[in-house]
Amino acid sequence: MQTYVIMRRGGWRTPDEVRAATERSAEEADRTPEDIRWIRSYVLAETNGELGTVDIYEASSPEAIRKHAYRAGLPIDEIVAVADTVVVLADPQPLPI
Amino acid sequence: MANDYRGISTANLLEREAVLDGFRSALEDARKGHGRLVLLAGEAGVGKSTVVRAFCDEVRSSARVLWGGCEPLFTPSPLGPFLDIAQEDAELRAALEHGPAEVATAILRAAAMKPTTIVVVEDVHWADEATLDVLRLLGRRLGLKGVLVVATYRDDVLDRVHPLRVVIGELVTHPHVQRMSVPPLTAEAVAELADSSELDAVELHRLTGGNPFFVTEVLASGSGAVPATVRDAVLARAARLSDGARALLDAVAIAPPRVELWLLEALAGEHFSSLNECLTAGMLVERDGAIEFRHELARLAIEESLEPARRLDLHRTALAALDSPNGGTSHVARLAYHAGAAADVDAVLRYAPAAAARATLLGAHREAAAHYARALRHGDRLTPGERGDLFREQANALLLTEQLEESIAAVTRAIEEYREIGDRLREGDALRIRSIVAWGPGYIEACTRDGWDAVSLLESVPASRELALAYAQLSDLHREVEDTAAARVWAVKGIELGRRLGARDVEIRATTELGGAEVLDRDPAGPIRLEEALSTARAAGLVAPVGRLYLFLNWAGMLTRDYTITDRHLADGLQHCSDHGLELYRLIQLAFAARIALDRGHWDEAADHANAALRVQRSATTPRIIALVALALVRARRGDPDVRAVLDEAWALAEPTGEIHRMSPVALARAEVAWLAGRHEDIALATDAVLDLAVARLRPWPIAELLCWRRRAGIHDEVGVEPHGPFAAEAAGDSVSAAEQWTQIGCPYEAALALVGADEEEPLRRALEELQRLGARPAAAIVARRLQERGVRNLRRGPRPSTRSNEAHLTTRELQVLALLADGLRNAAIAERLFVSPRTVDHHVAAILRKLDAQSRGEAVAEAGRLGLLQDRQPAKPI
Repeated sequence: MQTYVIMRRGGWRTPDEVRAATERSAEEADRTPEDIRWIRSYVLAETNGELGTVDIYEASSPEAIRKHAYRAGLPIDEIVAVADTVVVLADPQPLPI
Repeated sequence: MANDYRGISTANLLEREAVLDGFRSALEDARKGHGRLVLLAGEAGVGKSTVVRAFCDEVRSSARVLWGGCEPLFTPSPLGPFLDIAQEDAELRAALEHGPAEVATAILRAAAMKPTTIVVVEDVHWADEATLDVLRLLGRRLGLKGVLVVATYRDDVLDRVHPLRVVIGELVTHPHVQRMSVPPLTAEAVAELADSSELDAVELHRLTGGNPFFVTEVLASGSGAVPATVRDAVLARAARLSDGARALLDAVAIAPPRVELWLLEALAGEHFSSLNECLTAGMLVERDGAIEFRHELARLAIEESLEPARRLDLHRTALAALDSPNGGTSHVARLAYHAGAAADVDAVLRYAPAAAARATLLGAHREAAAHYARALRHGDRLTPGERGDLFREQANALLLTEQLEESIAAVTRAIEEYREIGDRLREGDALRIRSIVAWGPGYIEACTRDGWDAVSLLESVPASRELALAYAQLSDLHREVEDTAAARVWAVKGIELGRRLGARDVEIRATTELGGAEVLDRDPAGPIRLEEALSTARAAGLVAPVGRLYLFLNWAGMLTRDYTITDRHLADGLQHCSDHGLELYRLIQLAFAARIALDRGHWDEAADHANAALRVQRSATTPRIIALVALALVRARRGDPDVRAVLDEAWALAEPTGEIHRMSPVALARAEVAWLAGRHEDIALATDAVLDLAVARLRPWPIAELLCWRRRAGIHDEVGVEPHGPFAAEAAGDSVSAAEQWTQIGCPYEAALALVGADEEEPLRRALEELQRLGARPAAAIVARRLQERGVRNLRRGPRPSTRSNEAHLTTRELQVLALLADGLRNAAIAERLFVSPRTVDHHVAAILRKLDAQSRGEAVAEAGRLGLLQDRQPAKPI
């Protein structure tokens, strides 16, 4: 498994829409745990008022991420491989999904 | 009855509910027509058989159970487990004389009957190669059949190179294959079992590791302390029996997996009367009129404790008994086993080659190689000619199990033996074989020398089919180094001689080579010749030549981008090779399928095929290179990561061969990747060496493609070779015409890239739109930048992948099949409508399910409706 960042810029209008998408996403990821693991996400406040996400996943390949996105009905703008991780502080307290 | 799995204690079912539930739901799926293959793992003695038997008992009123087990022999009988099952089924019995593909077909056919069938294959870590092939084929094909296949294996004995590991790796990629495992017992369960004993339950759990077999043996041995090993526990239990019973155990222990009553009588003599005692004590069980240990661990413990002289004596008795007319249907692999264990050299030389020949016939090449090795250990007793024949056959078995260096060594010994007795015909043929084998590891010069030597030796004796085959091989060697003129000459000689000798198969083989040389020259006669030969070979029922012809035709379609050829033959070729166990041909065509899908703009499909091809662990480099390149290009074109390492691996495989057809696809991919990243200076670096080679060998097609990428990077070469087709148009600065030609050919991405060189706004806008449709982010960005440089503003961001239609990339044919599926037609009716074989429809349906990620036809139709793939569709009518 390799770590990837997935950019999904914009596309959601309300937090409820994002929540619905994350539920589908988690459900799909659980179906193929050997191929994909969702680590965490940051919900973006886009300048046009929409919401987007930056997601951190572990996956067996970029294709596994695309398959997951397709099944969960999520858009993809870009997939970037993570070369290394530097953690300085813990993430701010997230909202429970 | 072979499938009578009763009579075994299923008392111990503690903590097995989860596994049983898994089986129950798998059987439910199977009943609904979603076949399932369950791989059940667990350490020796953990109770895999017990839980499977319990499950089968539970459902026996509503399911038919076919049961077979693999033998714990160093060289097991080919297709051993299916011998057990076949006692129930005449069709399967007939298939056992042919090989894995026929066996798999017979099982699936038998499984189509009601009630739902459960096929159990026990202990597949011991399986022979042919049995593993059956599992592989079942895993691939049972998706639409109402059958549950259960294969049990010990996961604690699988080292990294165990053949089963490779098979499991392939199997688990199919959605209908699932893995389960049987865990050891917890301390609580052990305590429950030890309730009435005086042993300390905690200690018992610790020492036995919760292994149910170990625990049971300890409890049955009745000793006051827990023995250190399973073996000690078994021996302690046996020690409580009478002398006669212990002698009987010895006799059963030397004849795995089980011993028939008549044989046991011969082995045990007067002690035969103690059989009841052993059965009552639970050490032995009776099944199908034969006797076996309750567990293989017990048999091993007893066998290992035998004194050498006693063991030898028993094996000699077994050999004599099996060799007698009384031996009846007994199997030649068993004779070879006892001959070896009895140290009876004459018997080894008699039975090992026979066992090897049978194994070869059934596709168990690993076992065949082992039998030949066993016979050749006593080769000094044979004549040089006999030794030569055994070495040649061993070389063949080693070749088919991809032990190429060992195969070369064996065939070299054969050549020496034949040379010693002056047998030119067989020496020449062995040289031809070495010329084929040594190509794989890349001994190109040696191959060529052997090819020539074979021809000159065989030309010095009366004309033979061996000579015609040697001509075909020389043609093959010349085509590989792109000397098509010579390849044609040798192929024609092979065709003529084959025809003169009336050897239809040899003639077809040489015809295939000629067609291949013509394809490489882009001579339109090539595909036509190959298609004609395909009809002839099919009509003659020549399985392997048909596979090779499909391979060549689909290669031709990929190479010349003539997708009318691959539309006709790719699905059939994959199906034929899969059905007949032509695994290497199937793998190569899978890689072709990846490349073809890539070139046609079907990137999901390309990545799926490429990943499937890359999961197969074979040493063949050609399919690996093609699949790696296709995967890297899908990623690069989408702007996805993990490109460079994939191409580096491909280059490391291709470069040492010095062959243009392996190197140029990698070089071209590297050039494209550099271009997409805007690193134009890297394009020369990526293509220099291959361009020199292609110019030296005057291969215009690779040259045109290489020059095209170099031109896009601003490099202008003068090589004196005229480009062709769309490359010529682009070189002449006519981007629009180049794009039109690419569209005509069926390559949308290439068409869009050709437009990147256009100067006007309109073609650039079209390119952008097409690249956005394809999800080609980096190329789209390049075009968008060019438009912005021209002052164009307000470019629309393209639709994002998840909202695109026909994301599943069904082919036109698949859309047709899908439409008929939606009309509720069955495969046979669809086949009739489309004028194709039901086989081909099966293949299309499987592809549709895969692409739509659907488990059933109904789901596929529903998903297709959701994706809008069924809109604008005409009512079903003949197409």
